[in-house]
Amino acid sequence: MTNRATTAQPEILEKSDISEQLSLLSELGREFAASLDINTTLERAIERITDHLEAEGGALFLLQNENTQLRCEACVGETDITGIEIASDQGIVGRCVEQNTGEIVKDVSHDTDFNQSVDEQTGHTTKSILVAPLTVNDEKIGAIELINKKGKNGLFDDTDLHLLEVLSNSAALAILNARMAADLVEQEKLQRELELAAEIQRNLLPTASDPSWPILGINIPARTVSGDFFDFFELNDGRIAFCLGDVSGKGMNAALLMAKTASLYRCLGKTSDHPGKLMAHINEEICETSTRGMFVTLVGGIYDPKSKLVRLANAGHEPPLHHIGENEFIAIEAEAPPVGITTLAVPEDGYVEVELSLKDGPLYIFTDGATEGVMADGSRFEISGIETLLSENRGQPLSFRLQSVVNTVNRGEGPLHDDITILGLDAASPSEAVLSFDFGAHASKLKQTRARVSPWLQNAGLPEAVVKDVVLAIDEACQNIIRHAYGGNSDQNIELKIIRQADELLIYLRDFATRIDVSTIKPRALEDIKPGGLGTHFINEIMDEVDYLEPKDDNEGNLMRMVKSIIAE
Amino acid sequence: MEHSITEQDGVSIVALSGDVDLESSPIAREVLLAAVDKKMPVLADLAEVNYIDSSGIASLVETLQAAKSTGKGFGLVQVSESALRVLELARLDKVFTIYGTIDDGIKGES
Repeated sequence: MTNRATTAQPEILEKSDISEQLSLLSELGREFAASLDINTTLERAIERITDHLEAEGGALFLLQNENTQLRCEACVGETDITGIEIASDQGIVGRCVEQNTGEIVKDVSHDTDFNQSVDEQTGHTTKSILVAPLTVNDEKIGAIELINKKGKNGLFDDTDLHLLEVLSNSAALAILNARMAADLVEQEKLQRELELAAEIQRNLLPTASDPSWPILGINIPARTVSGDFFDFFELNDGRIAFCLGDVSGKGMNAALLMAKTASLYRCLGKTSDHPGKLMAHINEEICETSTRGMFVTLVGGIYDPKSKLVRLANAGHEPPLHHIGENEFIAIEAEAPPVGITTLAVPEDGYVEVELSLKDGPLYIFTDGATEGVMADGSRFEISGIETLLSENRGQPLSFRLQSVVNTVNRGEGPLHDDITILGLDAASPSEAVLSFDFGAHASKLKQTRARVSPWLQNAGLPEAVVKDVVLAIDEACQNIIRHAYGGNSDQNIELKIIRQADELLIYLRDFATRIDVSTIKPRALEDIKPGGLGTHFINEIMDEVDYLEPKDDNEGNLMRMVKSIIAE
Repeated sequence: MEHSITEQDGVSIVALSGDVDLESSPIAREVLLAAVDKKMPVLADLAEVNYIDSSGIASLVETLQAAKSTGKGFGLVQVSESALRVLELARLDKVFTIYGTIDDGIKGES
């Protein structure tokens, strides 16, 4: 504001005038603050200002099109000129914006900048004009123009100009605030849309596999949406088709191409016997329609649980690792370029397929988000790092091995550089993933139950402290069944099933007592120190999710499900 | 669960060991309440407790309340890691007076 030349020399105002103006200012300020809608803000501003300065009409112009034009955004008076646009260096308004100075034009007929055309179009006679710029910290926003003072021969004076300048400052600030608020709302809307897209993407990934399947995958997006994907699904003959891909680039465009490729793979893959041919089809389809410069590195395969054989094709992807000995890995290199670049480099009968046996050891497929990921010491993980970690953990369940790779790069210390996705196939692993047995609903059976669950959880790769907590939660849940469902020790059974998945433990407890009203199951308030009632609190404290399901088989009994997240903390 | 009751410098020490669970906690409760009924302060020695559940914790809470109502001292000594975790889960680790050693417990409660 300091560099402005003001033509007005404010007269000494009457005290009553000052207080009237101050109250208008504070009223406008309040209205502006309350309104986040920019149009309402503008209309209210010009109405109040025109009214207060007793002008016949008023118009508020804002700069647009990179400040080359002034558009009337709101106006009051006989003639509605809302929407008219003038060049930002034209007319008295233009001069005001350009010079960043307010002024009174007492007789417009003597002003060469006065634009007669509006008067000619509207039949209105403009005698005198008062203009003041809308500026915040030298950022030009537009101007306010008032026309003809009511009475007084239609002429404005210096006090009017001074007042308009003060009011314009406050209006400019309000407009800027409303714009920022609108931007924020827009940003939030985008963020919500992005989150919805991410949810759809997550749903494209396969849900927790049948525990008897020897395949597991983990995908951690670096941003909300991911350019990585994996999938696996059962074919009619019991074989399992799988794929893992990485779309070049990140963000929404990568996510869309990911969705397309994953959908094509799943849709065409259900009827295809040859992953190499299937990938060649997908390549053709994507080459036809893909945006230039975008491509997908892709590994596709089929696993036969009977023969334990995997047939695999690699289109430009990071080599999958077949772990065949203690520290020995075979890297399955790509022999053709990624999908979506060219159909010329792909052999006629499809991408080359490689056959391997899971009897020799597990197979791992991962994206470069893992190999290029940075470890705690700042160095890159690299394939060698993954091999070392997988060798060290070879006695652990598949889920643990995959999670350990992910955790090395995804340590929760800030955003990832790239999405991380890893898929593992291990024919030797599935039996470790489920523990299922039943026992009498009797206090005397609980110790044996704990003795059976505890080592199983340890073998499943859970840390000691987590094992103890989970055992406590299961024990407490069994106690609730004995006490509340069966009403004390009973001859009937409790069925326990624990499923160890990639990143969570699912625990199902089934009883055969009369259906209980789950709304009555509440932990007691802890501040109220008394014996008893702590069990449900322990369960809720230890588990990430606890819910009660309807048993599928019949109407009797209760089924409780507890979920414990086991991502390393 | 096993238990033993000893006396040292006018303090009764109830040592529990093994698993204090739904099956065994009624015994723990009985033993602890009986000890509080006598004229001496009581220490529950939890050094050898491998496992304790909500019913075991409930026995300790009931004992604490019985001791307070008759103005007697009751503290926990040498609380095993497993037992401490469960006390923490119950937010009772600050409600009980916990001593590192039997000697500290005797000094604290007599």
